[in-house]
Amino acid sequence: MPTLTIDGRTVEVAAGTNLIEAGLKVGVQIPHYCYHPRLSVVGQCRMCMVEIEGMGKLQAACSTQVMKDGMVVRTNSTSADEAQRAIMEFLLINHPLDCPICDQAGECGLQDYSYKHGQSFSRFRFDEKRTYPEKERIPLGPTVMLNMNRCIQCTRCVRFTEEIAKTSELGFFERGAHAEIGTFPGKPLDNPLSTCVVDICPVGALTSTRFRFAERVWYLDKKPSICTGCDAGCNITLEHKAGSIKRYKPRQNPEVNDFWMCDYGRSTHERYRDLPRLAFPQIRRNQALQATGWKEAIDHLAHNLRSRRTEGAIAFLGSGFLSTEEAFLLTKLATAVDSPHRSIWVDSGPTRHIPNLQGGITGHDAAPNRRGAELAGLIPAPGALASEDLLLEGAAAQCGALFVADSDFGRAANDAKVVERLREARFLAVMGWADTLLARAADVILPVATHAERAGTFVNSAGRIQRFERAFPAPPQVRPAVEVLADLLSRFDTKWSTVTPATVFDLMAEEVGAFSGLRYREIAAEGTRLSGLSDGRPPAATDSAAARPAGPGT
Amino acid sequence: MCAAAPHPAQNPQGSRGSLEPGAAAREALPESAIAEILALRSKYPTLEALTLPALHIAQRVSGGWLPEAAIEAVAQVLELPVARVAGVVSFYDMYHSRPVGRHRIRVCTNLSCQLRGSSEILETIATELAVGAGEVTADGRCSFVEFECLGSCDTAPMIMVDDDYHENLTPERVRQIVRELK
Amino acid sequence: MTGERVLMRNVGRPEARTVRGYREGGGYDALAKALRLQPEEVIEEVKRSGLRGRGGAGFPCGSKWSFVPRQSPKPKYIVCNADESEPGTFKDRLLMEHDPHQLIEGCIIAGWAVGANTTYIYIRGEYTKATRILEDAVRDAYDSGILGSNVMSSGFRHDIIVHRGAGAYICGEETGMLESLEGKRGQPRVKPPFPALVGAFGCPTVINNVETLCCATHILLRGADWFKAIGTDERNTGPKLYAISGHVERPGTYEYPLGVTFQQLLDGCGGMYRGRELKAFIPGGASAPIMLAADREIRMDFDTLAKAGSMLGSAAVIVMDETTCMVRAISRLARFFAHESCGQCTPCREGTHWMEILLHRIESGHGSEADLDLLARVVPNVGGISLCALGDAAQGPVRSLVQKFGDEIRANIRAGRYPMPLQRHFDQGAAA
Repeated sequence: MPTLTIDGRTVEVAAGTNLIEAGLKVGVQIPHYCYHPRLSVVGQCRMCMVEIEGMGKLQAACSTQVMKDGMVVRTNSTSADEAQRAIMEFLLINHPLDCPICDQAGECGLQDYSYKHGQSFSRFRFDEKRTYPEKERIPLGPTVMLNMNRCIQCTRCVRFTEEIAKTSELGFFERGAHAEIGTFPGKPLDNPLSTCVVDICPVGALTSTRFRFAERVWYLDKKPSICTGCDAGCNITLEHKAGSIKRYKPRQNPEVNDFWMCDYGRSTHERYRDLPRLAFPQIRRNQALQATGWKEAIDHLAHNLRSRRTEGAIAFLGSGFLSTEEAFLLTKLATAVDSPHRSIWVDSGPTRHIPNLQGGITGHDAAPNRRGAELAGLIPAPGALASEDLLLEGAAAQCGALFVADSDFGRAANDAKVVERLREARFLAVMGWADTLLARAADVILPVATHAERAGTFVNSAGRIQRFERAFPAPPQVRPAVEVLADLLSRFDTKWSTVTPATVFDLMAEEVGAFSGLRYREIAAEGTRLSGLSDGRPPAATDSAAARPAGPGT
Repeated sequence: MCAAAPHPAQNPQGSRGSLEPGAAAREALPESAIAEILALRSKYPTLEALTLPALHIAQRVSGGWLPEAAIEAVAQVLELPVARVAGVVSFYDMYHSRPVGRHRIRVCTNLSCQLRGSSEILETIATELAVGAGEVTADGRCSFVEFECLGSCDTAPMIMVDDDYHENLTPERVRQIVRELK
Repeated sequence: MTGERVLMRNVGRPEARTVRGYREGGGYDALAKALRLQPEEVIEEVKRSGLRGRGGAGFPCGSKWSFVPRQSPKPKYIVCNADESEPGTFKDRLLMEHDPHQLIEGCIIAGWAVGANTTYIYIRGEYTKATRILEDAVRDAYDSGILGSNVMSSGFRHDIIVHRGAGAYICGEETGMLESLEGKRGQPRVKPPFPALVGAFGCPTVINNVETLCCATHILLRGADWFKAIGTDERNTGPKLYAISGHVERPGTYEYPLGVTFQQLLDGCGGMYRGRELKAFIPGGASAPIMLAADREIRMDFDTLAKAGSMLGSAAVIVMDETTCMVRAISRLARFFAHESCGQCTPCREGTHWMEILLHRIESGHGSEADLDLLARVVPNVGGISLCALGDAAQGPVRSLVQKFGDEIRANIRAGRYPMPLQRHFDQGAAA
């Protein structure tokens, strides 16, 4: 592998590596706009001009590949600096400088590089700025708004639709100072990945119709998380302000979603805003649900799980939204009351495909963690009541008690017919965050944290276990499901009184073969591929759930 | 909810949409024009290379300009994304995405012609046609544009009318040429 | 000084447009000779001749041919650059309209030399007459066994496809041309890879100007030594077409040995228009920095002009007399470059536009000396860091305007002389 020197730092790289990537290896950031590691190299913004010893002219770092030993590169020499300054000036002369009302402000390539490489005065007369009349607010499609005046013609978006989405809705039109991006009339930008063009737009030309004017980005707190839209397991950054989620953005993981995520996934946080929330524990007394305290609610549920065994089966119905740790605790609870009736319900979703360097990752479920929940033990033993028995065939009537976790497990949670069937259990407990029809039918309600308010792990469709972090705390009367389930378990077995997702996971790893050898804190940032699992469904799941039921309403 | 994400392999470039709109788009061009385009197939290793000749043909049979339907038709025939073909159309000065006159006048005003009086030629044509550059006369007869060097600098000033050069012009001569256009 | 007409020998011989007529004048003898040589020998002969590209860059033609890999799993292509669009240039049109077979012969020779079975002649879309004539000549060449699967019974296959552009100066840039040929916007490519390895359709490709290929024909027929004997020195060899326009009495295409002086050119075309004084001239097309009247004895060859800070370019000589408003003249060129910038790279897209604005401001009487100073500081940023040579080309004439006419422009601004009155050409009497 050839060795080169960048700004005095020596680094060895694979032959063919370009100078921007080589620089990153030794912490040298070469400014650029049009270059993107997953798009074809066009060398057109000219921001990444660097000096290379022995070459007369400055070279574009993005399109210069390291082929042999001994290249000496300077990114901060006088001439490179002058070139970068000149490009900044050129880019800004026709830029509207409407930063105060621009959504990109705070995460804008022009702002960042102006600070580093720009000058503090303008030599251009404002009245002569080129504008694109009536092109300040062009909806390119349902998700993306174009302000052509802000565009710096880097064509990342055009290349994205051609090379990644492979839908080619965007084109580069006209030429010279009038060059612009856009769509053909009647062929809007409308593909499952369309909002990615907003992510890769280095300026405020493309903004998300969903996020426009929602918040100044510097007021947002950010946490690494995992999208719950399907079981592809896209890595995301969850961005919120004081507990109100403003947007999901893809977080790069080359093994999973790379730089991308789908538009549907981006929308999934809106359910936390739009659906009514369970805010405090409740117990049904004299036909009516009444607020109660946590101790009372848990005692009440523990008592019923114990005492109703004589009246029928004690069944546990989990969901694909449970974290692996929550699913494990629910399994433990079933074991504590000697119940074989434990399963999960997962709506099947449309197939979602996110491209990556290996070809891509595909999600099929409408929930993120079928595989993790099943591996954690939520699989009915042969002959036991499975989720499809309970939901579709009305087997709940045989149950002395039915504990559903969580309240928003699928479309059925608001399907009156299904709720009626589940209600036939002698005693119905519901744990969850959303105030669904099902929750309102319960005898006891345990309000728990939303996805953003808890930490844990999911196992995606490719068998990769990934951690997500808590972004903000749950409301005062609401507790994370891991705590609630441990509290319940402590009524049967005192070793469970205080737990965290990490302690639960580590205990689980001692028991469950698929996780053996793993520790919660040691799960890699890009996740860990579970060994011995095939892509697709875990082998254990094939017995009982061989025919995945078509969910109600599909 | 949004639709299922297509797998790239199932959604090759250029074959978006169902057959019906494609067929409709092709109808914007006469069969003979499509045949003329496809006859060029053997001359190039790729279908995309037919873009420029195809657009020349499409423009010729569409009244000297390229309506959206004609651009879509070319994209269909060549199995290309229409945004890319439209990007090509807008790149070249000889393709028009707006209606033009039956006769198209290109007035060279680049340096060699400027030095030999092209501004007076331009003035004469504008006065004669009583429309601005890029506009079409009310009777649809003519439109004119200023154009870059047409490679006839030794015979400056000059204009191009449709496919023909008119050289060594004077205002009188150009007035006569414009008047003779039917 | 005019001497023998080599490249223009068939100008004025309409019968030369047919294979039969062309052969009567010794046509296709060069090809026949080339086909008897090994391809390497053909390349060697062209290398030895010192032939440099006639399109603008002046790159040695034989070297260019030798960069194409001998063995290639992919097909190889010749692309003839007939997209003559540099303002002031009209010599290739003359060659194609009057002597199409001279070009066809050169294309096939180049094909034989590098092992290419196909030539695309990329001709600018506006050249409708030249296209017709070329297409007729190509058909005739097929019918006569000059083109096709068995070129002159040699067993070598060569096809020529005449491909029309559609109006874009940038398609004269090698890789812009290749993009355009492939059916795309004519946006120049990042180099490397160079076309000799990755050119048209991803295959090894040689791109030569029309006049260059015509020269190759004569080199093969008469030998490298004959060619080398013409011209200034061993780096500036051969006959050359000069396209002269502007304020001269008889504008036109003239053939001279490479390195004729400007004064000789001027004398050859009847001197200055209406006997006026020479003010300035552009020696090599719109991209070439301006020369002054004092430079009139300069040799019009590659190296002499480069040394003088300008360039031979396409040898399009634009002559300007004492009545010329230099700001208006160069402002027109700046407008041209702004119009023709493909728009992909920042310095060219924004810089050509900015130069146009500043020059227009001065030309129209709204400019100040500060604008001129600003222009001087902006201009160097347009060239050097652009993706292709258009940025460099665009700043050349403007830079020379500021350098050579700065004082004059300043004085004019101070005296409020802008906008200069339009020079009327066709006032009564003058039109006659």
